[in-house]
Amino acid sequence: MEDVWSVVLRVGAAWMSLVFALIVLPSALGVSLGISEAYLWVLMKTLEWATIRIEKGVRKPQPQIKTSAANGIIERDETPMEKEIVHPHRVDFEFSDIFYFCRKGFEAIVEDEVTQRFSSEELVSWNLLTRTNVNFHYISLRLTIVWVIGVIVRYCFLLPLRITLAAIGITSMIVGTTIVGQLPNSSVKNYLSEVVHLTCSRILVRALSGTIHYHNKENKPQKGGICVANHTSPIDAIILTNDGCYAMVGQVHGGLMGIIQRATVKACPHVWFERSEVKDRHLVTKRLREHVADKNKLPILIFPEGTCINNTSVMMFKKGSFEIGGTIYPVAIKYDPKFGDAFWNSSKYNIVSYLLRIMTSWAIVCNVWYMPPMVRQEDEDAVQFANRVRSAIAHQGGLTELPWDGGLKRAKVKDTFKEEQQKNFSKMLVRNGSIG
Amino acid sequence: LPCAQDARTPPSPLSFPPPVTSEQIEHLHRRFKQLSQDQLTIRKENFDSIPDLEFNPIRGKIVHAFFDKRNLRQESDGLADEINFEDFLTIMSYFRPIEMNMDEEQLDRFRKEKLKFLFHMYDSDHDGKITLQEYRNVVEELLSGNPHLEKESARSIADGAMMEAASICVGQMGPDQVYEGITFEDFLKMWQGIDIETKMHVRFLNVDTIAHCY
Repeated sequence: MEDVWSVVLRVGAAWMSLVFALIVLPSALGVSLGISEAYLWVLMKTLEWATIRIEKGVRKPQPQIKTSAANGIIERDETPMEKEIVHPHRVDFEFSDIFYFCRKGFEAIVEDEVTQRFSSEELVSWNLLTRTNVNFHYISLRLTIVWVIGVIVRYCFLLPLRITLAAIGITSMIVGTTIVGQLPNSSVKNYLSEVVHLTCSRILVRALSGTIHYHNKENKPQKGGICVANHTSPIDAIILTNDGCYAMVGQVHGGLMGIIQRATVKACPHVWFERSEVKDRHLVTKRLREHVADKNKLPILIFPEGTCINNTSVMMFKKGSFEIGGTIYPVAIKYDPKFGDAFWNSSKYNIVSYLLRIMTSWAIVCNVWYMPPMVRQEDEDAVQFANRVRSAIAHQGGLTELPWDGGLKRAKVKDTFKEEQQKNFSKMLVRNGSIG
Repeated sequence: LPCAQDARTPPSPLSFPPPVTSEQIEHLHRRFKQLSQDQLTIRKENFDSIPDLEFNPIRGKIVHAFFDKRNLRQESDGLADEINFEDFLTIMSYFRPIEMNMDEEQLDRFRKEKLKFLFHMYDSDHDGKITLQEYRNVVEELLSGNPHLEKESARSIADGAMMEAASICVGQMGPDQVYEGITFEDFLKMWQGIDIETKMHVRFLNVDTIAHCY
């Protein structure tokens, strides 16, 4: 009995020291040992091989032109209503006028632009994860074996490693920030707080096997500014804090999240709102304005979409963030869906199952583009400014833009939108016809 | 190729109209599951979750068409409460585009089916005739979003169009002749020579699920 315990303890100790030496220490120092890169290279080669096998395995001939599944499955006829509803006989209304609306209705039923943004992006080729095996059929024994090996690697090796790292990361964040928080306010405290935040972020990113490519680092958000990014998942914040320190904005939660929030706010001036305060927009704007006015404070991080979108498009930005004033530093984040799906479908998965899914994916690979700062022009109002920033982010990240509100995930379309089409059609009739 | 899906695989393609490909059926099945929220049937309320559809002035009629038993090729009349995936496919099949390899007879049947679908949309009381009142209803619905257009104007537009239809079907009417309504045969007559097949279809893109190497 004793022997078993001592063996277990020794293995445990060896494991922890390996983890510490290979992962935690480099995170603290900000260096990379190249393990992630090697892992990703092996993964890429395997996935390429798998793709070739799948292509060989399919017997029917493939046409050379492929279309991206993210852009829809039906051919939309974009002829505007005016062109299509033509009345050659000077009659005011014909039976066939109903065709246009009928067809549009059917197209919407088969597929609508908005709902598909709230489900995960479809992959064009299988990435050997069971969860993405929707379209793909059984191909060959070799592929299945590789898939089984993949399952074993992911669940038995990667998952425990990642959970360990996540635990270390979160604990050190709480402990570190609490310690730093005891110090009196000074530049030393700020420096130490930055070190703690950065180290813990790096550990957490490694906990997800994250590989992040930062572009245009010269545009990194400065103090006193507001950093604005598109939102795909809760880990967006970790992705960004991996490279710099920000003041987070959010609602106070209970549980583990609440503990983290309370600890970190002692070390660094994050802006946490009580639930009751969130409803009061003026209070929120006022607090944020005060924060931004102080040029020594870290830049605020805000996600103006308000909800998680599936990373193929950018939805409407809420104008609140753009009314605060100050310089906006837009950031575009684009995840590579091949290695793991980072999108959090909050109506389908709760946070724990989401984290488990992330931790059993291959890796999280993403690109982050820092963009040149923008300010509101004199003749722009907040909404126009928000749209301008949104276009820039969508353009940089290669995402499409949708004018819809992310809140449509849960709510219905406003009535004002509905009547638009009817107004247009009747305007047309009145113009053509002889109604006074 | 055997399918790696679960037991709720969609049923085999329909014999009439011309069969849809299995990939399209899979797409539609996924869409069905999305709309039904993973239930086996869809109800009218499920269509409320489509933002694009809210725009459409004849939204009510389109949704109605999905539950209309005449469109579902069921013997009885009236409205179904809920439809399963097979019914969904049946309604979708009215919007199939024309295939290259159809012969005269098939084309004619195809056209008739589409026109019948349209007829049912107008004929809301299921009596086999489009009366003046039913026609007025459709026009009013289409024009309902415009607050500046009075009900009277909508009515006169409908009346004018109905007279036009009557003149095609019945010829010149006497002053005391009452026009009951447009029957399906008259409806077909109105559409003779007019191309509807290209207006009333939804074409699927050829999306292949296996693709290039990275």
